[in-house]
Amino acid sequence: MKSLLAYLLSLRGLVMAALVAGACFLSHRYSAHHTGDTVFTTLYMHLVPAVLVQPEAHAPAAEHAHADGTTHAHAEPAHAATPLLEIPLPAAMAAFDYRGAGAPAPPKTALFNLQIFQVLAVLLILVAFAGVPRYLRTGKGDPLTRLFAGFADWIRNEMVYPTMGKELGRKFLPYFLFVFFFVLFMNLVGLVPYSATATASIFVTGALALTTFLAMIGCGMAVQGPVAYWKHLVPHVPLPLWPLMFVVELIGLLVKPVALTIRLFANMSGGHMVVLSFMGLIFFMGELWGPAGAWGASPLGLGFAVFIMIIESFVAMVQAYIFTQLSILFVNASVHPEH
Amino acid sequence: MFNPVEGAEAAAQLGKFGAGIGAGIVAIGAAIGIGKIGAAANEGIARQPEAANDIRGGSLILAAFIEGVSLFAVVVTLLIAIAKT
Repeated sequence: MKSLLAYLLSLRGLVMAALVAGACFLSHRYSAHHTGDTVFTTLYMHLVPAVLVQPEAHAPAAEHAHADGTTHAHAEPAHAATPLLEIPLPAAMAAFDYRGAGAPAPPKTALFNLQIFQVLAVLLILVAFAGVPRYLRTGKGDPLTRLFAGFADWIRNEMVYPTMGKELGRKFLPYFLFVFFFVLFMNLVGLVPYSATATASIFVTGALALTTFLAMIGCGMAVQGPVAYWKHLVPHVPLPLWPLMFVVELIGLLVKPVALTIRLFANMSGGHMVVLSFMGLIFFMGELWGPAGAWGASPLGLGFAVFIMIIESFVAMVQAYIFTQLSILFVNASVHPEH
Repeated sequence: MFNPVEGAEAAAQLGKFGAGIGAGIVAIGAAIGIGKIGAAANEGIARQPEAANDIRGGSLILAAFIEGVSLFAVVVTLLIAIAKT
């Protein structure tokens, strides 16, 4: 107990906790209140990225919609309220309009609550690792610094160096360290109440996988030569088979980042969905059998939800590990082709 | 809660039925795959305890591949389940 307090009550731990709390406060204050037609959709809307809106403007608008008597089942208050920040996009990117298809002419994107938590993850990395260089030089540091220094050491010695070798690994280590801790902090902060999981959005994980994909192609082409890289995609096969194998390998190359995207996204949103389902079960029983049913289902639903949350905190770390390790494997495979 | 439906609505409900069955089959496949990996990993660790760390890391990666395939299938069933028509 005393050692746990030492981790949390160091200045670094307090700053990190304050950052998380501040991000949760910002996200809660500037996102519209979720309303769906059933309790399940209301719960589910907490999984969907929310547009950041002006806090004052939205409350009367929501009241007004109810006063009209026109209860649109799928009326989203987020769209009625004025967004905090709208950024116009070029017309070619109309598919990325946050208001969905059929919105008025200039396509726009807005600030989402996920962006808060992405920035938070970067800030947490900065705070957590600010003391690490000094610790490595002098051997002095608070418990949290020692923890993260050991963590980084583990990634270098157990993940990057055994796969890539020392020479190449040293060059790629900063990128993989960043990817690991970025994903880890986003996953873990997503478990805090009032927060949102940035990695439970397919766009965030897609962008992360895209950087891995670019590293695969870019570094492969830089090391082997632009043409030789594409030639070495195919292992030694008879000449008539070559075009077929090239297409197969090309598909294999494209599937790798897509699999990275889907794996992280589905794992993070899947866990939340299971938790929400168990919580929704309480309301479902309440509708079916009245308050007695709700009270009866509460211990079971809550217990299972807590159990799934414990599993999820494990999954959050395992997924960060797997994402990084697979990125290492993919980049290494494209830099060192099979012969 | 359980009302009989006919026609187009029945077809839509049948689609969701298929999504549910698909999710179940995905679970079976993933369980077989990950179970085989777990069994082999534990056997390997029991035979060679000094290689436990390598085996554990390798089995996590292999499990991740199976998980990836099964999650692809889950996403497909989810798309069927939430499809409007």
